[in-house]
Amino acid sequence: MTVQIKGRPEAITIQWIPKYTLLERFGHWMHTASFVPLAITGMVLYFPFLQPLAQGAAGEFFRLVHRVAAVIFGALPIIYFIFQPRRLIMNIREFLPSKEDIGWLKAAPAYYLFGRHEAMPPQGRFNAGEKLNGLIMIVAWVVFGLTGLPMWFGKGIIPPEIFRWLVLFHDLAMIASVCMFLVHLYLAVAHPLMWAALVSMRFGVTSADYAAEHHAKWYYGPKRAMEIYEARKREAAQKGH
Amino acid sequence: MNGKSLQKSAMSRREFLSLSALGLGVSLAGTQPSPSPAPRSASPDELAILYDPVKCVGCRACQMACKRWNKLPAESTDPLHIYESPQGLSAITWNIIRLKRTDTGWHFFNYQCMHCTDAACVEVCPTGALYHDPRGFVGLNRDLCNGCGYCTQFCPYGVPHLQTTNILTGEAKSAKCTFCQDRIQSGIGGPSCAEACPVGALVWGKRGDLLEKARARVTELQSQGLNARIYGENEAGGLHRLSILLDAPEQYGLPAVPKTPGFARAWQRVIQPLGNVAFGATIVGILGAFLIARRNIRMEEVR
Repeated sequence: MTVQIKGRPEAITIQWIPKYTLLERFGHWMHTASFVPLAITGMVLYFPFLQPLAQGAAGEFFRLVHRVAAVIFGALPIIYFIFQPRRLIMNIREFLPSKEDIGWLKAAPAYYLFGRHEAMPPQGRFNAGEKLNGLIMIVAWVVFGLTGLPMWFGKGIIPPEIFRWLVLFHDLAMIASVCMFLVHLYLAVAHPLMWAALVSMRFGVTSADYAAEHHAKWYYGPKRAMEIYEARKREAAQKGH
Repeated sequence: MNGKSLQKSAMSRREFLSLSALGLGVSLAGTQPSPSPAPRSASPDELAILYDPVKCVGCRACQMACKRWNKLPAESTDPLHIYESPQGLSAITWNIIRLKRTDTGWHFFNYQCMHCTDAACVEVCPTGALYHDPRGFVGLNRDLCNGCGYCTQFCPYGVPHLQTTNILTGEAKSAKCTFCQDRIQSGIGGPSCAEACPVGALVWGKRGDLLEKARARVTELQSQGLNARIYGENEAGGLHRLSILLDAPEQYGLPAVPKTPGFARAWQRVIQPLGNVAFGATIVGILGAFLIARRNIRMEEVR
């Protein structure tokens, strides 16, 4: 595919490679469409300044929205597991930490704020930031389920001493996942370097050049990716002298 | 060469400044004032109820008067309908005489809302439906209640109960003894339970007067060789339902030290403010990153 970008004299050719299945993209956007209402309706009980919205019929309406969205939010990973179990397991494996992640996180501020990519170690299909987002969302899904379902159906059956901890952990999962969501939203929507993110989540493909730059271990394979990384580091060191 | 290195150092200074601005923003977002409420204590002029189990004959007139005034339906507890009596507090039973056999004999105990000064239910209620009336008791405005049920889980006495109409949607209303708030607020009289008691086991009045009365009564009972004590003078900041006990509070199913507001406070005054700091830091961090990245990253150089 050839595109003309404003400010560049020559047209550039983009080679697209597949990244996400249709179900994954559907799941991602349904996750968004359930997570956002869940967060908003939950905050009604969380922030004291939203008290008027929590009172009486308004509060009951927000609880209904919260519960409908919770069913969708809870069901999505299960649907994914039923239809594409191999993809799910593959993705969870790729979310697990690897030894380059610390180096990536250290180099990330210079990259995301000032666009300097020399120090970025090669990453797999997901980089360390995406892994952090994925892991927090997976853990939050489990915690939301383990605390939310008993709070829904177990009121009056579960001893109050346990119920209080459920409320607390539901809050903690919300704080962690909402913070992560905000960062994820910014990087996907507003950060200039992450231009391919929305394309991938809409059409399921990513640019080969983008993949080579951001996901070298996935694109080239781990060995070749490390060679390129070392060569780039040597080049940068020579320039520096 | 010289010019280039100068430019380079200027660049890193700009980077340094923008990073420190970001750090400052994050720390400013973290220093929001945390709510520190003035310590409440029960004043002697506030209203209270005093219960004397030695005078109580267990007639349950208080139970009946409570049901009648608050228009609460009867509870069926016996499948044969021979001896029906509620087993404990519920959404439709706000006042009950408990009969308990202990090592020292049979104890009557009138159980109802203790109307704490330091009330966990008011602390956790997200709607303001549960409130401290200036006259001391803990009232409930059911129109504001959304049925979240936090009060039922945080009360150290297990008093509020949810009247659930739909378990799936969670439609419910909290219910508990309100000190007959409508009688008090409209000046009709005192709590119906105390008004109905035929033997003076339940009396109502100003808390200071009742405490004086309770102390005199405890001295009198002690002179008769009974192990009498007052419950509620200092518990949970001072209860507005004072009781004379003839045994340890645990023998009456009462906590010696009602602890729950501590947990509620840890949750609402530590975890929630910490969460707000995390939200603030995240938002300020993102805005800072947005402004810095916009200045430094040229789209023309992006692959």
